[in-house]
Amino acid sequence: MFHVKQSDIRKGKVYDVIVVGAGHAGIEASLAAARMGFETLMLTLNLDHIGQMSCNPAIGGIGKGHLVKEIDALGGEMALAIDETGIQFRMLNTKKGPAVRASRAQADKALYRQRMKRVVENCENLTLKQGSVEALVCGDGQVLGVETQIGEVFEAKKTILTTGTFLQGVIHVGDRNFSAGRAGDFAAQGLSGSLSALGLRLGRLKTGTCPRLNAHTIDYSRLSVQHGDENPIPFSFGTERIEQRQIPCHITYTNPGTHEIIQAAIHRSPMYSGVIKSRGPRYCPSIEDKVVRFADKQRHQIFLEPEGYDTVEVYPNGISTSLPLDVQVDLVHSIEGLEEAEIMRPGYAIEYDYVEPTQLKPTLETKAIDSLYLAGQINGTTGYEEAASQGLMAAINAVLSIRGEEPLVLSRNQAYIGVLIDDLVTKGTDGEPYRMFTSRAEYRLLLREDNADLRLTELGYRIGLATPEAHARTTGKQGRINELAEKLESTRINPSRSVQVRLDALKTAAIRNITSLAQLLRRPEIAFADLAVFCPELADVPADVALQAEVSIKYSGYVERQAQGLKRFQRMENVSLPDDLDYGKINGLSREIKEKLTHVRPRSLGQAYRISGVTPAAISVLSLYVYKMKAG
Amino acid sequence: MIVGSAGAVNAVKIPKRRMYEADTIAAVATPPGEGGVAVVRLSGPDARRIGTEILSRGDVDWESHRLYYGKVCDPDGGSVVDEVMFAFLREPRSYTGEDTVEIHCHGGPVVVRQVLGLALGRGARHADPGEFTKRAFLNGRLDLAQAEAVLDLIRSRTDKAAGVALGQMEGGLSQEVQELREQLVDTLVQVEAAIDFPEEEIELLQRQELSRKVAGVIDRISALVDSYEWGRLIREGVRVCIVGRPNVGKSSLLNALLGVDRAIVTATPGTTRDFIEETVNLNGLPVVLWDTAGIRDRTEGVEQIGIDVTLKRLEESQGCMLVVDGSSPLAAEDLDVIERVRDRPGVVVVNKSDLPRKLDGSAVSTRLTDLRQIEVSALTGQGLDMLKDALRECFLDSAEEPEVVVTNVRHKAALERARASLVEVHHAVDQGMPPDIVAVDLQEARDSLEEIIGTVTNDDILDRIFSQFCIGK
Repeated sequence: MFHVKQSDIRKGKVYDVIVVGAGHAGIEASLAAARMGFETLMLTLNLDHIGQMSCNPAIGGIGKGHLVKEIDALGGEMALAIDETGIQFRMLNTKKGPAVRASRAQADKALYRQRMKRVVENCENLTLKQGSVEALVCGDGQVLGVETQIGEVFEAKKTILTTGTFLQGVIHVGDRNFSAGRAGDFAAQGLSGSLSALGLRLGRLKTGTCPRLNAHTIDYSRLSVQHGDENPIPFSFGTERIEQRQIPCHITYTNPGTHEIIQAAIHRSPMYSGVIKSRGPRYCPSIEDKVVRFADKQRHQIFLEPEGYDTVEVYPNGISTSLPLDVQVDLVHSIEGLEEAEIMRPGYAIEYDYVEPTQLKPTLETKAIDSLYLAGQINGTTGYEEAASQGLMAAINAVLSIRGEEPLVLSRNQAYIGVLIDDLVTKGTDGEPYRMFTSRAEYRLLLREDNADLRLTELGYRIGLATPEAHARTTGKQGRINELAEKLESTRINPSRSVQVRLDALKTAAIRNITSLAQLLRRPEIAFADLAVFCPELADVPADVALQAEVSIKYSGYVERQAQGLKRFQRMENVSLPDDLDYGKINGLSREIKEKLTHVRPRSLGQAYRISGVTPAAISVLSLYVYKMKAG
Repeated sequence: MIVGSAGAVNAVKIPKRRMYEADTIAAVATPPGEGGVAVVRLSGPDARRIGTEILSRGDVDWESHRLYYGKVCDPDGGSVVDEVMFAFLREPRSYTGEDTVEIHCHGGPVVVRQVLGLALGRGARHADPGEFTKRAFLNGRLDLAQAEAVLDLIRSRTDKAAGVALGQMEGGLSQEVQELREQLVDTLVQVEAAIDFPEEEIELLQRQELSRKVAGVIDRISALVDSYEWGRLIREGVRVCIVGRPNVGKSSLLNALLGVDRAIVTATPGTTRDFIEETVNLNGLPVVLWDTAGIRDRTEGVEQIGIDVTLKRLEESQGCMLVVDGSSPLAAEDLDVIERVRDRPGVVVVNKSDLPRKLDGSAVSTRLTDLRQIEVSALTGQGLDMLKDALRECFLDSAEEPEVVVTNVRHKAALERARASLVEVHHAVDQGMPPDIVAVDLQEARDSLEEIIGTVTNDDILDRIFSQFCIGK
């Protein structure tokens, strides 16, 4: 079915870009391609499920909030959508330093979906169709389009697959299992075969979700409540403020009784009975995993997250499970506040096909065949934000390729998106869905949420994606930051009596000499807001501008040090490795390392070094070889 | 990060024609000079072929790791060069990780040169210094610290230094650094877990606890850094100038210390004109003794040259052995010499203790208050052991031998960098800096330690977080 010759295709409209899938990756991919001015077709199994949050109803979090801000800076949609539909905003890690502060928001799932559908439907150059893609149409060594279940063929210059968990998805609940893309949706059966036939290696991953509970049956009176931030900070640099009503979450815990119920039924979990062979993510374990692996822990925390304003469905974050339904009921009822809780949808595990992402170029195009791009869970990642980031970058690069321009590959020191994609194409997923963490970024102090716009808006604007307004806004902000930095350096205070009194009131030591406000700000106990007592006009500086100045002055030594480390990093990044390098010929490399290098085909010595199992000795051999090659 | 190190991995220093490629190298693997047995080693893909061509028992089955008997013959002339034992070590189970042939021949320099010459004549290339070790490193048989230790071993001067190098080769330093790295990574894991999983009820590492852990690592790193000086002395030795007016018995003393007649000894003043350097092993401490021409006031001609050299050597040495004649009173020339060695570490040797004592020791000690006086008879050997002990103590004040000794300056520099980063961590914690800032220096400290052992971190931290903490909602 898939190797249809070009001549066989019914001559119809040729799109620039086809995006298969309308999840978080598909949306960003479709919007980006269309907004950059290219005729785009979005194909989805179900037009009612555009932007569905299949798992927890939240956007952002540590590392993920960073991704959302970067998507926003480049001209993506996710941040704007959550700003409009978020029902509880929280800034996490506020006391752990400027680099790791991260935004997170609960979403009204239905509103989020509706809003995304509206944006997609109203986007110029974007056509939306329902259809189940069963095969890729190939010819001339490239992918020419797709064919649906009912034989409809669509042609495009570039095809982007964002199939999520749908490829040969199988849902497990206890010992029951059935084919599905997620609860309530069909799986995509044929596409995996097309991908295999093109020479792509597929693997199997597992993830899972919680049962959903009915809020009317939960006794909140005994549970602690968790409110959002009083002054919610938006995700998008373009959103002024969050206007909508905010609602709280609640917290409860499992107890030894819960753990006994799980232990007693553990043999009925498909994860433990051997039915599911693939490994689930360690950072998102099922409750049965937690109980087995951390048996001495007395309780596990559960966040009860409302799924929206107008629904009674509640997401009990922390008890993802694939135990049989009767066990799910018992375990839920053993938890404080949930004694009477009714399960509206059971929790389940899902297994699905993914493509080991080391088979991709850093543009997310496959190495096996041209014009085919993959983004999202199909690449072995997890998370809406990770998916959206890839969708955006796949579309950007598909479009740049059509335009005949250089690809846009973000580096590890430029963006979390760069870290994400570099990790994927270099190291792969190692059998576990990949999630972003701040500890994956070497240059964490440089890659903050707060400076994502300063890092990336210019780039987004240059490729025609970020809007002129966003560009102007960012340029203006940068100007004000520079002015403020200058002002703080040039405004000086004397060690006069009145100054010392004010310093004393700020609980900081007296000054001996004339001191600039910048110097004062370097003191750990002094915050930017404190400086207003010496220079009242500082009180009027916008918070985002003040934050930049504060971070760059307060932590200048550290930022500088990371910048130094960055230089060393770049020395290795700058040694490029030719695409056609024959690693088999290089003596002194072990067979295993030769195979790894041949498979990944790193673009630089730096990338080669990040491939797991590649030793420093191998790198020195490689650098000798390249040096020799270049020396002729 | 590529670790720049002495020769082993630095791409740029290696001349072009010496690129690491699949050629076969050969060299004499045993120390130069006459010995009972000398080993000619060949390593590389052609090792076996060359062996077959130059060994008359080349028809053996070349079983790996077996010792064969054979004769080395000139394949062109057919004459027998030597009777030998030889072994074939099949890759990767050899020192270099490549096919290796080792030929144990009789140790005469002429024979050894001929055997090596034959190997070179059949296509082997003479190995660069340390090249076998470099290949062992490149082939993953040794880690960086081990490879460097081997090079130290090759260059070491005494058994003690060899022991230190051997300890490092067997992973003494690697193991200690590995342990310190473990501790830092454990600390980082706690910091990072609290950062990446704020909603997981993970206790943020308390400031005091963090400071305590870091301080512990700093102490151990400091001990390693301090061991460098010890190790350097052990490896390179101390340069000690033997000085004294003419004819106090300097050369005799040198010979007595060496146990053989090396310097020309006569009773004519100024006989030692050439500069003489000898190494004695003082209980593990190599001491390079510089025997010098006697320092006299009025001299001319050839002797003057010798004395200029002496003064220059005295400048370059790390200590001195001032020799005076115990059988005669302190002379004006002695006082000149004493002036020259003032403020230098060393020992005063009162020689000729076999003769009646005429020297007033206090005349010397009032001028050189810090130096111990040892009575010695170079003639009978009396007092020599005491002199050796005194010399050793003079330079190795801590008689305590460190368990692990850092001998490589690159390692020392990396340790110092790691320590500096950890001091920064301390500072940052004191100042109340947030965890993401503290993590920067912790990571740098870890990176510096990894430069020594050459480990790659990758996803280590996350793996540990997942195994230690119950993560995930």
